[in-house]
Formats: sequence, structure tokens, C-alpha cells
Amino acid sequence: MNTPPDNLSEVLRRWRVKPPAAPNFRHTVWQRIGSPAGVSWAAYLRVHTAAWSLAAVLALGTAGYAGSVMAQARVRADREAIVVTYLVDLDPRVQALLKP
Amino acid sequence: MKYLLGTLAVLVFVAAATGFICYRLSCDSALHAAAAKGDAMEWLRTDFHLDDRQFAEIKKLHAAYAPSCAEHCRLIQEATKARDAVRSTGESDPVAAERKLQELRTTCETAISAHVRKVAALMSPVDGRRYLALVLPKIANFDHQMAPDLILKGTP
Repeated sequence: MNTPPDNLSEVLRRWRVKPPAAPNFRHTVWQRIGSPAGVSWAAYLRVHTAAWSLAAVLALGTAGYAGSVMAQARVRADREAIVVTYLVDLDPRVQALLKP
Repeated sequence: MKYLLGTLAVLVFVAAATGFICYRLSCDSALHAAAAKGDAMEWLRTDFHLDDRQFAEIKKLHAAYAPSCAEHCRLIQEATKARDAVRSTGESDPVAAERKLQELRTTCETAISAHVRKVAALMSPVDGRRYLALVLPKIANFDHQMAPDLILKGTP
């Protein structure tokens, strides 16, 4: 049995695709680079909620604690200074040292 | 990466703000102002929650104590000079001069302790205890603590 002449190769050889140029190709590429897979910030946070929540709790707790500790240290230093000032006025032994 | 850095920056900013707010809330601005001005009476008034009547009575008590404080001061200075003279000349007993000075200091410590107890009695019981816990150890440890501090501060 004779096969019909296969002209597919010939057709493919002559086939040319001329797609129209996309007008926003460059802009679209940069947009996709800037926003990976088109994800918004809110969507990013939703995806990483657990990690960022833990980080927020730790950071805020540490910052709050550090602020309180620093304030208490300052209160102690202020009180120490003013007690000495108070006793300078009150204690003759101190005044005897200070007076010429 | 952009969102990671952005979220991190926001978190750092919020943490810094939280730390600052906690610092401000835990600070005692009245105490700091009194310490900065060296205003011990203002410190007493604010730190020990004195009302006008208590404050007036404590001021009166301090005023009444001032002459005896000045007299003690004069006696201690005289005894110190006498001891130093004895030490330099070596004519009389330096131990006796030192003992007299220590006796005067002890008398003075007893007087000032009694005075601060009277002051504490005019405060509320809680504030009075806190006041005594602050001042009595410093009065008792004068030789070890107060005097060197003052000498250092007075040194140019």
C-alpha cells in the first residue's frame, strides 16, 4: 500500500508566526519583578501571620520591658542623688566636712 | 524581600515607640525635676505624697532642727581641728582627741536619726517606712559611704 505524500514537514517549514508586539511588555515585566507573583503586602502578611505575630510579640515585649527597666534605673539614680542632697542639709557630720 | 524589609522596618519603629512610651510612663517626672534642681523639700513633698499640712509640719520640724544641727557641726569641726593639732604636735593623747570626735559624731547620728524618725511619723505609715529605709542606712553608713562621696564631689 502506498502512503500519501507527507507534506507536514513542508508545511511546518514554511509556517511563520508574527505575533503583535505587546505594548506594555517591559512595564509588566518590571511590575512582576517588584511584586513577586503579584502578591500584595497584605497578602504577604496573611501568609506569614504566625511568624510576624511571634516577632511582634517578642519585639514589643522586649522594648516595653527595656523602657521600664531604663526608667526605673533613672528613678533610682534620681532618688539616690536627692537623698544625698537632703542629708547634706541635715547631717552636721557632712556639713563639718564641707564647711571651711 | 521588599515586604520583608518593609515589615521589619515597621516592627522596629513600633517597638521603639513602645519602648519610649513605657519609659515615659515608668519615669517619675516630679522626682526627676526635684533631683535636677536639688530641691530636697520638693522631693519629700512629691515622693512621699505629703499634703499641705504634713509638708508644713515637716518644714517646721526641719527649721527647729537646724540650730542644733549647726551647733553639732561647729562642735565636730572644733574637735576635728583639736585632733589634727594633737596629731601634728604629739603633745597630748591623740586617742582621747579621736574618742571625743567619735563621741560627737555618735551624738550627732543619734540626733539626726531621732529627727528623721519624727519626720517619718508625720508621713503615712507606708511612706514613713519607705523614707526611713532610704535615709537611715545612709546616716548609719556615713563613715563608709557619705563622706567619700562628698569629698569626691567637692574635689575640683
